[in-house]
Amino acid sequence: MRRIPIGTLRQKTKHAMKIKKLLFVTKFEELGFDALQSLLSLREAGLEHVVFVNIIERERVAMRRGTGYSKEAEIRLRETANIRFIDWAENLFEQGMEVGAYIVVGNLVGEVIKAAQKEEADLIVVGRSQKGVIEQLYAGSDITELLHRTSKPVLVYKYLSESSFALEKPFESPILATDWSPASLRAIDFLKELKGIIQKIHVVHVADQKQLSGSAMAIQKTRKKIRAKLDEICQTFEAEGISASPHVYVGDPEQEIEKAARECQATLIVMGSSGKANWVERWLGSTPRNIAEKSDYPTLLIPPEKL
Amino acid sequence: MGKKVLVVDDDPDVRLFNVTVLEENGYTPLVATNGEEGKNLAKQEKPDLVILDVLMPRESGIRLYRELKTDKNLKHIPIIMLSGIAEKSFLRSQKVLAEFGDAPVPEPEAYLEKPVDAEELAATIKKIIG
Repeated sequence: MRRIPIGTLRQKTKHAMKIKKLLFVTKFEELGFDALQSLLSLREAGLEHVVFVNIIERERVAMRRGTGYSKEAEIRLRETANIRFIDWAENLFEQGMEVGAYIVVGNLVGEVIKAAQKEEADLIVVGRSQKGVIEQLYAGSDITELLHRTSKPVLVYKYLSESSFALEKPFESPILATDWSPASLRAIDFLKELKGIIQKIHVVHVADQKQLSGSAMAIQKTRKKIRAKLDEICQTFEAEGISASPHVYVGDPEQEIEKAARECQATLIVMGSSGKANWVERWLGSTPRNIAEKSDYPTLLIPPEKL
Repeated sequence: MGKKVLVVDDDPDVRLFNVTVLEENGYTPLVATNGEEGKNLAKQEKPDLVILDVLMPRESGIRLYRELKTDKNLKHIPIIMLSGIAEKSFLRSQKVLAEFGDAPVPEPEAYLEKPVDAEELAATIKKIIG
């Protein structure tokens, strides 16, 4: 992959990435009001508007083959969602927030993308259940499809009751896993906008073992080079008043990022995703996708800017 | 032509219900499906009354209510809030927004919680605009 100097990319991705409006996609079982409340710390970084989205998948209202769909089932599901949303909305309205809601029958990913476009949302939040495959509320393929089709940042929030993490402040201590790709560098801009709520960022690069060949000195030289690039990113954060520290890991990106998150006691993993861009990251988008689907940590994926 | 009443609601069933009540009682209904549309229609048509939902896509009724009540050309238009959101939450939100520095706004002429029956809606409209 062609590497682009960080400074050059930083100029190209200088658009502010404030999160003023987030789309909270829920089926209730996996993302509840407690999860939403934990995201309200984003208000300190400019969040003003939350849009609830509940997609009723067609299968849930379909009748037996050839007999159409049950209007009654649709009404029941719609109104059940509506009752929850009214309750949540009252709470947020009383806090001075702006709130909207979509309850739609259709394809999950397609409808989420439509709502995100209509609302010009800055962030899409989706849940990921760790229940059994059959009960899975968001199949991995849905997350993957969403990541590929949207140009909006996506936060994959994890099933709370099965997680050991207290998600009171998910943005307090993120790790930014970077491979220097445009998307992962764009993530820097995104995180800079959260300076009021981030306490410390750990900036991590996972070196390929193949990069580390030759003499001990050659290997250390490589490490030093990587470290210098990480230092440059950390300085960008420090200039914004965000404490940041660099970390070099070696090995399988997926495993090492998870390890780094644990060691740094991170609250969130942040990565660039390849999205719809023409170029291909070293991770081919598979690492962000796998982490989003499998990691215990909430995962924020930033796509590249539309080219 | 009867007095013009603007209905702003994203729910097609509620819109249909409101329009039917309005027509049956001799009013001329205007319809918007979200806050943005509602704002534009209010500016364009200067209705005699607005029936406004709260929880809607794009722009909520809370924001539109404030915009209408602070617009010098529109603030005289009476508004009936018609929503599943409790009146208490609506009033609290307006108070909080005023505390954040937004202009204070008066309370709506009426607040009806969904679902409302046709007679109650018609009577409320009649009481406000005749």
